[in-house]
Amino acid sequence: MNLFVLLGIAAVMVLIQQVLTRWIQLNRIAWLGIWWVALWAAFSYGINPPLPNSIIVLFMAIITIALMAYLSADNEELEEARQSIVRFMVAQEYRIALVIVLLVIPAAVAAWTYASMNEAPQPPSSGRTIHPPPPSSITFAGNSIDLATANNPYRELEHTDEAAFAAHVANGRRIYFQNCFYCHGDNMQGAGMFAHGYDPLPANFNDATTIAMLQESYLFWRIAKGAPGLPSESTPWSSAMPAWELFLTEEEIWDVILFLYEYTGYEPRAQGMPH
Amino acid sequence: MRTLLPLLLIWFAYPAMAMQENDLGTEVQRAEGKEVYDIKCAHCHGYEGDANAVATSYLRPAPRDFTSGNYKFRSTESGELPTTEDIKRSIRLGMPYTSMPPWDGILSENEITGLAYYLKTFEPAFEGPYGNPTIVDIPKAPSYSDDPVHLARGREIFEANQCTDCHGINGRGNGPSAPELVDDWGFPIRPADMTKRWTFRASATREDVYRTFMTGLNGTPMPSYLQTINEEEDRWALVDYVWSLSRDEPDYGTVVSVRGQTGELELGDELFADATGTYFPIVGQIIEPGRAFYPGVNGIRVKGVYNESEIAIELQWHDMTAETEGRNHPDTDVPVFDATEPDTLTGGWSDAVAVLLPSRTPEGLERPYFMFGDSKFPMTIWYTDLATDSAVVLTGQGAGRITDNGVELERTAAYEDGVWTVRLKGSRTLGDYRMQESAFVPISFTAWDGFNAERGNKRGLSAWYHLYLEPMETESAALPMAKWFLIVLVAEVAIVGLVRFRARRRKKT
Repeated sequence: MNLFVLLGIAAVMVLIQQVLTRWIQLNRIAWLGIWWVALWAAFSYGINPPLPNSIIVLFMAIITIALMAYLSADNEELEEARQSIVRFMVAQEYRIALVIVLLVIPAAVAAWTYASMNEAPQPPSSGRTIHPPPPSSITFAGNSIDLATANNPYRELEHTDEAAFAAHVANGRRIYFQNCFYCHGDNMQGAGMFAHGYDPLPANFNDATTIAMLQESYLFWRIAKGAPGLPSESTPWSSAMPAWELFLTEEEIWDVILFLYEYTGYEPRAQGMPH
Repeated sequence: MRTLLPLLLIWFAYPAMAMQENDLGTEVQRAEGKEVYDIKCAHCHGYEGDANAVATSYLRPAPRDFTSGNYKFRSTESGELPTTEDIKRSIRLGMPYTSMPPWDGILSENEITGLAYYLKTFEPAFEGPYGNPTIVDIPKAPSYSDDPVHLARGREIFEANQCTDCHGINGRGNGPSAPELVDDWGFPIRPADMTKRWTFRASATREDVYRTFMTGLNGTPMPSYLQTINEEEDRWALVDYVWSLSRDEPDYGTVVSVRGQTGELELGDELFADATGTYFPIVGQIIEPGRAFYPGVNGIRVKGVYNESEIAIELQWHDMTAETEGRNHPDTDVPVFDATEPDTLTGGWSDAVAVLLPSRTPEGLERPYFMFGDSKFPMTIWYTDLATDSAVVLTGQGAGRITDNGVELERTAAYEDGVWTVRLKGSRTLGDYRMQESAFVPISFTAWDGFNAERGNKRGLSAWYHLYLEPMETESAALPMAKWFLIVLVAEVAIVGLVRFRARRRKKT
């Protein structure tokens, strides 16, 4: 929500109703036009992050229909509106205004034609699949790992051997700061010193929709196989995430996963819970 | 100990300082600071504050050693300790383009205060008489003036104070002494590139620049000009001159749009005179062996022009020195990064640059792995070693799997005042496909800074961006505009005519 813009639009509406109407009589059609413009402005500039154009077009189509339904709900008003349009087209006193309107509309269409022909071409955009579907199993250093059942083998140490667990987390911390934090950042927000060089931006692990809603085996897959291991339907191909299986051992990957959860304070999604 | 001498002098000069209490915080604040420090800071700065930690040797510039009491960014006189507020400020804002992030918004104000007090415990001098440093007054900046006389005065001061020795005559960080600079720990250190203000470590408001000039940067070769530039007006003239050298933010783009023309493409200034350049960020290759944690190049500006069969590309980047001796190649062996045995900065590596393109038609968004391609999807590498006078076409299927196609490219290269300008010209046909008009071609870049011992896979690289070939002939908009204008106008006139006709008839009846 962009509160200032919304308040501004409301203020202009009140101003028109309270002040402007003292001098100018606004008929029903003018009022509906004003409403239409005000709603369009609210949708276009009053909402943050901005709505896509297609959504705004859809909303405005619905609003246009609603306003017309409102107008035609009362026969008398509809007739009045019709007559005022006919009067505008026929009466001598509106002759100059009519000529202006008749020229402005095609001019606007021509301007729109010009703008759409001179639009800078857009490169193909790489939509991001947030959680691409994992394969059922992966091969790591010659061994097959079943992603549906694989558990972090060091997770249970949390309850059985605190010192050993702490050592695994410490090792994970070392791995993170020697390998990951250049992109994923000190605070795991995807804002490391090299993050600005990449699109898509590195994942933000603080975001509740990343590691907080994933199983540890899923993270293992993403870290081990990186962007080259993404399924073909899960672009973008421009992701710079490397396949860490080439550089880290299985234990190191499980350790860094422990550290990711430890540092962000999230719990991994348990096995067997619906995805 | 080196810093103690000026401290001692100041100490005798200002005995009144002893009357003030040192700002060391409370026991509780320091304990709270330690708690945050051990979680958020210790992996780089060390549990003992001595910058001896798991990540230290992976970081350039190296993380601060707090036991030295040497703080670059202060509001205090040269050689003195920082104030609590100075330390807090550095934590809050971080150091742009280094691994020190801004902690503002991540840590609370209380946590940052606690941290600052805890950092002070690593250096006993904070408890002694030096713990009360002399603060340099940083006045509020007068509004920026681009008056030529004012800026010329700034430039005069810039030259008179030998700023050019390190920062170069146009401030690109390429002065004659720049390559020899080291900090107090013996690490190589680079003078700031004043044309890239966004990389200034101590932030880049005009007050920040003023403060850096007045206080100097302890532990680095950057001295204080507090005693040498005395007139307030001159100080701001210098600040404004430096300010005038850079834009506020980098103008990073994602598409380099290339104009088409008929006839020969003659590599030269004229060919690229009207082309719009696009600036792309360059970051370190930190994944595969030969990891470049701090590449010498951090951005590259690219222009292009094409004709029926060929495309010419201009690459420009800032480089402290031109390494035109030695050798380089994307396939050059680089030692596996070993924290205990840093890659020694031996000479013998030349500067080099490459343009990377896919070797076959990309389907959808598919493209080669951005490093050096992969076996499923190879890339075409237009490569030039700037110690030679030729450029070649290579095919990459990953690091260590790079083959020479035996094709030479036309090339020109020039290094002038800190800027490399390299122009390459090659065929629009890559492998089995041709770059089409109005098409987006994936493109990426690599720059090797020989001074930084970058070679092979130790390099600065970019992610995939796009090269766009503007259509040779753009359809004029005049005709469609006229057509739609007339169609709408005729429709309107018909409606109005009909309404009037009916209205008149009704009146008659």
